[in-house]
Amino acid sequence: MPIYEQTYRRYEAREPLRKVRFWPITREALRLILSRRWFLGLLAVAWLPFLVRIIHIYVVTRFPEANRVLPVDGRLFGEYLSQQLIFALFVTIFAGAGLVANDLRTGAILVYLSRPLTRRDYVAGKLLVIVALNLAITLVPGLLLYLIALALAPDQFVKWELAWIGPAIVLYSFVISLVLSLIALAVSSLSKSARVAGLGFFGLLMGLELVHSVLREAFDRPEAALLSIMTGLQTIGRALFGITDRTFALPWPWAALVLAAVCLGCLAVLRARVRAVEIVR
Amino acid sequence: MTAVLEYVRASRWYGPVIALNDVTTTVGPGVTGLLGPNGAGKSTFLKLAAGLLAPSQGEVRLLGRPAWGTPELYHHVGVCPETDAFWEGMTGLQFVTALLRLTGYDDAECRRRAEQALETVALLEAQDRKVGGYSKGMRQRVKMAQALAHDPQVLLLDEPLSGMDPVNRRRVVDLVKRLGREGRTVLVSSHILHEVEAMTRRVLLIHNGRILAEGDVREIRDLMDEHPHTVSLRARDPRALARAVVGAPHVLSLTFGADGEWLTLQTAKPDEFYGHLHEAALAAGVMEMYSPDEDLESVFRYLVPR
Repeated sequence: MPIYEQTYRRYEAREPLRKVRFWPITREALRLILSRRWFLGLLAVAWLPFLVRIIHIYVVTRFPEANRVLPVDGRLFGEYLSQQLIFALFVTIFAGAGLVANDLRTGAILVYLSRPLTRRDYVAGKLLVIVALNLAITLVPGLLLYLIALALAPDQFVKWELAWIGPAIVLYSFVISLVLSLIALAVSSLSKSARVAGLGFFGLLMGLELVHSVLREAFDRPEAALLSIMTGLQTIGRALFGITDRTFALPWPWAALVLAAVCLGCLAVLRARVRAVEIVR
Repeated sequence: MTAVLEYVRASRWYGPVIALNDVTTTVGPGVTGLLGPNGAGKSTFLKLAAGLLAPSQGEVRLLGRPAWGTPELYHHVGVCPETDAFWEGMTGLQFVTALLRLTGYDDAECRRRAEQALETVALLEAQDRKVGGYSKGMRQRVKMAQALAHDPQVLLLDEPLSGMDPVNRRRVVDLVKRLGREGRTVLVSSHILHEVEAMTRRVLLIHNGRILAEGDVREIRDLMDEHPHTVSLRARDPRALARAVVGAPHVLSLTFGADGEWLTLQTAKPDEFYGHLHEAALAAGVMEMYSPDEDLESVFRYLVPR
């Protein structure tokens, strides 16, 4: 029988966990995504409406009569963020589709989960990637736009009754980012192919949009909007920024409930799919 | 033996399929071979130890704590999975470094450790090549490197020699033996008997999700009374040797080899047989002796029903 070393030996591996265990996952994924030039190009394109809005604010402050045609008020920020939804959709597809799918395909999820990480850390790390990229094209330009508006038109915006604009930008940006990111991550976990996951995500959102449009045309009922994630998000935005429009006549609490249910559903999918071992029944 | 890894009535099933069935065993420091045919439950056994799966029933404890749901524990565990688990676009160095970051080291330390681990598996020269371009053997070695890089106390290696060329196979076998000598607990699974035999004599034999036998191969063999032990002897006068031993009650059968030099016999009690053999062996001029069924393959053949 071999005689093995049984005495105490100090192993160097660290005992305490990082406070933010998921950060290396986020960092590595962001590094990979941001190393693609075309993705940086997409982010740059997503910032173009921001420049347009700055010109808009500048023109209105220099030529006040333009305010009658292109009003600059709290709604501007809501409309801007709703406009960013389409960019958020593409950023989410290209950044998020492969996040879990690629790990499932390559088996890398197994080495991730054999590290000092929980499945929750893994999901949080991946989710943060898409959320951060979406915030980079919603929250960051939204707040920047607000600051520029404060600087260019202090008479118009530095008012207590307009103090809600900042929090509304933050809240709406987070709602958009979180909802889209969770859906993308859940869809990504359902496939081992980033391409299939990307198409699935796009198809799901556009498919629901199509069904919503057909039902709206057929029955002219606001409840049809419950089927559309994009309309749900826009409804929240319009409620936050005080924009009234018949198209979005759906009461915002309904939209919020539907979106909350969708998020919970996505978390349930992730809980079932993010495993080190694929269980085939 | 100090139990580093402990299974207490542990079972794991996937729907109606039972992968591991009511297993109770312990694994201590040193190298232990986990041996069984494909589909025997080896990978499930390892994944339960690594905390990658929860036991459906029973308990699996690693270093005294539940293996499932204790991520702090995984600082002390290195897992080398059977299947490829890479981001193909990364270089070997980036791959090992990225995984080290999850263990909590800073960038400089990650790089130092990654290079050290890649050197250990003789992959330093290929560290800047993309993993996607690695051969099967190199992939195995980079998986070994990531398992070793954080200096874990427990190593769980699932078919680590699969796809390796003989030189690297030898290198990894030596590495595994060295890790065992250092006092680490190394559990190596394989369905190839001689691979395990090259690394350790201590084995866990697993089949259909159950532990068939555990311990030293020789000890297991000795306990298998229903299968007589075979001893082959090459002697100058094999017939004289046969005459000397044929009357002993524990000798069950004798066969002469075609070349006239070899005598093969079967005994129910090998220790008594070897005790009586001494004088007869001297007289008959025994030149060579071996026991062909004390190896792992024979033990396995006897234990696993075909």
